[in-house]
Amino acid sequence: MRVFERSAPGWSRWRRMRWTILTSLAVTGIAVGLAACGGSSGSGSTSSQAATSSTASGAKAAGPASGSLTVWVDSVRLPAAKAYQKAHPDVHLKIVTFDGDANGATTLQTKIQLWNRSGKGWPDVIFSEQVNDPVWMAKKPFEFAQPIKGLVPESALRQWPAPSTAQCTIDGTQYCVQDNLAQVVLWVNKKLMDRFGYTVPTTWQEWAALGQKVATEHPGYIVGNSGDSFSHWIYLWSGQCPLQQLKGDKVTINATDPHCTRMASLMDPLIKNGTVPPLSVFTPDFAKKYGGAKDKVLLMPGPAWFATALFHDTLHLPAGQITAASPLKWENESPVVTGQVGGGPWIVSKHSKNLKAAGDFVTWETTVFNDKRPGYPAYAPLADSWLATLAKDPFFASDPTAALKGAAPLIWQGWNLVTYPDQPVWSNTVVTKLVAGTALSALLQPLGDGLANAAQAAGYQVARE
Amino acid sequence: MSSSAVTSPYAQAPRKRGLRAVVERTRGLGSGRGLPFVLPYLPFLILFGIAPMIYALKLAVTKDNGDWAGLHNFTRTVDDYRFGPAFKHIFLYTGVWLGALVIFVVTLALLLHGRANRVSSTFRFVFYIPGALAGAASVLVWLFMLDPSVSPGSFLVHNVLGAGLFVESIAPGHLPFIFAMIAFWTGAGGWIVVMYGALNTIPQDLEEAARIDGAGPIGIALRLKLPLIRKWIAYMVILSFATGTQLFVEPQLVNQASLGLVPDTWSANQLAYQEAFRYADFNAAAAIAVDLLAIGLFAAVLIVSRTGLFRTED
Repeated sequence: MRVFERSAPGWSRWRRMRWTILTSLAVTGIAVGLAACGGSSGSGSTSSQAATSSTASGAKAAGPASGSLTVWVDSVRLPAAKAYQKAHPDVHLKIVTFDGDANGATTLQTKIQLWNRSGKGWPDVIFSEQVNDPVWMAKKPFEFAQPIKGLVPESALRQWPAPSTAQCTIDGTQYCVQDNLAQVVLWVNKKLMDRFGYTVPTTWQEWAALGQKVATEHPGYIVGNSGDSFSHWIYLWSGQCPLQQLKGDKVTINATDPHCTRMASLMDPLIKNGTVPPLSVFTPDFAKKYGGAKDKVLLMPGPAWFATALFHDTLHLPAGQITAASPLKWENESPVVTGQVGGGPWIVSKHSKNLKAAGDFVTWETTVFNDKRPGYPAYAPLADSWLATLAKDPFFASDPTAALKGAAPLIWQGWNLVTYPDQPVWSNTVVTKLVAGTALSALLQPLGDGLANAAQAAGYQVARE
Repeated sequence: MSSSAVTSPYAQAPRKRGLRAVVERTRGLGSGRGLPFVLPYLPFLILFGIAPMIYALKLAVTKDNGDWAGLHNFTRTVDDYRFGPAFKHIFLYTGVWLGALVIFVVTLALLLHGRANRVSSTFRFVFYIPGALAGAASVLVWLFMLDPSVSPGSFLVHNVLGAGLFVESIAPGHLPFIFAMIAFWTGAGGWIVVMYGALNTIPQDLEEAARIDGAGPIGIALRLKLPLIRKWIAYMVILSFATGTQLFVEPQLVNQASLGLVPDTWSANQLAYQEAFRYADFNAAAAIAVDLLAIGLFAAVLIVSRTGLFRTED
């Protein structure tokens, strides 16, 4: 995805493009700078290395964190990183912003390769928007991630929900902590629903039926969208479509499983009648057609961070309209499961010369920082206070927190994390064709083929059923 | 013995008769005189041209542990599912772009050359302006041009590309043509100036002679000027062919701007980049680079031999 939990207001493509360019320039500049300063930082680090080894127990060591620390974050996490600097004047923090591997970019893979080749330049801490990035970071040939145990206090680590910890655990070792949970819920425009006299759907079937009704009774309004690089995480992940099931090095990809086809055939009429358009929510076209004063989003299945990042900051919907409802279920199937869109992890570098400060930074970002936090905190105690703030937010038509909290443990665990990004495959093979008018049902097979190719290129054995 | 070997051509020279001997002698002197001109460039050619090429060749035929791999890197990259589409894209793109470049640049240069000096210099400047926006910057400008919601030419985007939305403008089928258009406008102006310069080397009396023989402006352009700048056109095609097959910046930027809708392995060069830096497979990347080198060399040899680019005795 482009950027999770976007917090900056009014992002248009222009600003994003400019951002991309500036970021890449900055990244290049800093990469050059790092290479140039390699010698000095190397010599400077001997003392800090000695300091670190004397406090080999890392985070457990007494005294506040100090020394220098380089962190790589996406633009959304920039305020959080700056807040740490403000709260910790003893730490000399160097913040580098990058694209966050948004939309399945492989910026970090290329950077880490280069750092590994040159033997220097690694940052101490990285935030990635890709929940799967730690998987390859922990493995050869990258071997970048440092086990998180000992860096974040044990008592705090226990406060992450078990599925979240599981996503950060690779071959039995935990390599990251999730910044936020990104469970999919049903976002509802309560004001519009009341005005049209509709009841909020609880099943995908009701949702689809309503979509048909909206197309005839109130054309122009939408009940979802299908053009994001992460749309399959909303619909197919929720629908338990087996696109990424991992057993050792073998990944099962079955895009034509009934769990996939049933969701596709439910969505196809809605894509066709315009109530689930194949447009990304982060494009100016989308904001122009459905956002702001147009206010045409009636329903939208989407992740927790849509709350403010999308509806408030990107689409600028009027206050007092949006709220969250429980994730849609499949008829009467139980247990109810939902999808996940992101939930970016913090990763500490094993090459860090200042593991103590790195651990302190990650701990602070995930367990302390809560000022205008863009997403649902993964660290449970923080989630409660975040939800309390959200409950009082006048932007929402009614308290969305019950639905958000209820959905948090429902993320379907049958979608495993792999080393390759699946978003580009969805974007290239499905979204471009949906735009051209092809039915989603007809694109499931190519999607499966594309994913199988990507998996094989990444070194997985692929099973197609 | 060595001294006799060195002096022998000169010793034999007087025995040769006529033009041939003169040509040979001037040529021998020329290569010696040319050396100081080439010398400053040589270290750079070796350092940034020949040495990396040899390194790439070595990487392409070895495994990552340095063992001999033969053609394995080539066969496995050809079998890669992204190889075919990437090369198809760049060939289509290069074909469209080169076709446009040759036809429009030569036509415009010929037209300008027939105009009065002031008009022609104004137009040369106008054509050159888009080229002042180098690479990435021009792509950015074009991204706005192609977005129907902000483009000043949105009616063109709408009617020619049939696009009401940005995602429709950059539909996969449009991309080779869009990249060709971007590349054309960034490069054409410079080449028009070069071609104009080439046309200026044609002696005035040749043109006058043709006119006296009854040739009209079109006849002069097509039957006199065009054959005389043939080598310049060949030169343009060789350089542009190599640039075209190595397309990288445009698709890479569009990949980001489209939020990933355009694959990051759209062109062959991008695929090589991904192989090297995403999969840490420098050998596969080198194999693709060598493929590109071979294609470029093949095209260059073909063009040079067909047009007689290096023939001096015409």
